[in-house]
Amino acid sequence: MAKSYKDSDRVIEVLKNVSLDIKEADLICITGRSGCGKSTLLHILGLLDNPDKGKLVFEGKEVTSSSKEAPAIRNKDLGFVFQFHYLIEDLSAEENVALPMIIKGSTRPEAIRKARQLLTRFGLADRATHYSNQLSGGEQQRVSLARAMINEPRIILADEPTGNLDPQKSSEIWEVIVNLNKELGQSFVIITHDKEQARLARQTYELDNGVLDLISG
Amino acid sequence: MVLGIIVSVGILSAGLNLFEGYERTLKSVLLDSFAHINIQSSNNEYLTESQYNSAMSMLKGDPRFLNVSPTISYSAMVQEGSQVRGALIRGFDFSLSFPYHPYIIPLNTGLDTGEIFVGYHMAKELGKSIGDTIRVVYPQLDRISALGLFPSEYPYKIKGLYRSGYYEFDRSIVIMNKSDCEQMIMTSNRYSRIEVRLKPDYTDKAGSIADEYAAKLGGSFLVAPWTISNVSLFRLIAMEKWLIFIIFSFLVLIAGLNVVSAVITIIIDKKNEIAILKTIGTDDRSIQRMLYYRIALVAFAAIVLGLIFGLLLSVIVVNQNFYTLKGDVYFIDKLTVYVSPFNQLIIFSVSALLIMLCISIPLRRINKLEIIELIRNP
Repeated sequence: MAKSYKDSDRVIEVLKNVSLDIKEADLICITGRSGCGKSTLLHILGLLDNPDKGKLVFEGKEVTSSSKEAPAIRNKDLGFVFQFHYLIEDLSAEENVALPMIIKGSTRPEAIRKARQLLTRFGLADRATHYSNQLSGGEQQRVSLARAMINEPRIILADEPTGNLDPQKSSEIWEVIVNLNKELGQSFVIITHDKEQARLARQTYELDNGVLDLISG
Repeated sequence: MVLGIIVSVGILSAGLNLFEGYERTLKSVLLDSFAHINIQSSNNEYLTESQYNSAMSMLKGDPRFLNVSPTISYSAMVQEGSQVRGALIRGFDFSLSFPYHPYIIPLNTGLDTGEIFVGYHMAKELGKSIGDTIRVVYPQLDRISALGLFPSEYPYKIKGLYRSGYYEFDRSIVIMNKSDCEQMIMTSNRYSRIEVRLKPDYTDKAGSIADEYAAKLGGSFLVAPWTISNVSLFRLIAMEKWLIFIIFSFLVLIAGLNVVSAVITIIIDKKNEIAILKTIGTDDRSIQRMLYYRIALVAFAAIVLGLIFGLLLSVIVVNQNFYTLKGDVYFIDKLTVYVSPFNQLIIFSVSALLIMLCISIPLRRINKLEIIELIRNP
């Protein structure tokens, strides 16, 4: 895939001939300096953006962000965790987590029940009915991860999920991710600055000057 | 947004409530003041004895009629000092029938020879009241002497006042005994016309009943229902009512433009939530529907509040003392309000349709919102 942006008269090629194969139960970390295009790559993988060249193939079928099936894939097969959590302020933690399941078609009580189970697993049982502004940054990030998990997606895409957290909270989140990957066999593609944490991944890539290099794995 | 809808729907509703009240009051006053069917000679002369007898025998016993009253009717003048007013004289044989008792002040007053009822506004304008004497002058053109026109002129005692609410009548009518009428116009046992008043269920069918009797009575009679003489007036009122409706609907449209900007603001305010919903797989139509229902619920509540506000506004307008209707311009001098369920339904439907359009048009912008732009610029 290739992707470029125009900045005034300059064309910046953020992705040049990038190729990535994500298999079941993969735990992939992508590192790189700020502004190198890591988030762009993640957005393309998550059907939020389209490449200028190349294609994205999901289960043998080419898909784009504007495909008719894109919303359903984003709902059932992909889970997103962003650096800035992106929780809906008017909803409680459990309602935020339950939302993708309700959109999928489950009943509200069923979705809330599963949301509570996930929040309990993430150590947030007592915070389930709190609103996002009543939660700490780490708690919000765990709620965000629980939301990404609720529909048991095939791939979870996380953009610097611990970027705003202190080292202790950051370790807790990584522990949860590694455990989930092992227990449930879900694939994770995680963007991080932290090379120490990137070592926990089975494969680590570095994006530099638009080119994706496999560093380990 | 909510206030704009409440005020505009309220004004629209109040306007129609007042217009509906005016139309119904005027119709009711006209129906009370006039005969519903007038039967007279086709040559505009007095009814001949044979015409009168044949018409009365034909009209007798019709269950649709409230009463049948032969009357003498002519134009004359009322004089009080230097003031002279045109008057419509109506003479009734009180032993036969007098259909206007409910509009006489005091109620159930009878009339003897030498006594008259005069219109409420006529008495007021001439400074006369019950018990006073007034002169009625009939300028009969065939009574000319060497000294000039020689009118019939008699004084009458005011026994009561006639107040129907129809201004033109209340300022010009003089009701007297048939015998007094005959004395003034120097005739006997002749009637100008036969007035038929219908039972309330049949007043709207006056046209067909008149046609029926016109066919029965034959060509020597002119049978005229009340609708003929007032048809233009009611058409005009109906047209004005719908004109008011269209003009005031523009107010709702202006409120609708506020709704458009409110919806755009909501979309901008909620762009993070929209981005989250799109990211977790909600399609554009579902987001549109979700926002639509939330905004529409508030808008519909505002429309209902607007209808209630309109009702309050019209009640306030009716009960205020700063402005009164000019009877000589608007026929009646009292504002009334009538809340027609049909009108309320029309107002609700049109307002809801306009507001729904104003909500749905800006919501289409959601299709154009790129998730990636929303995520990059939280």
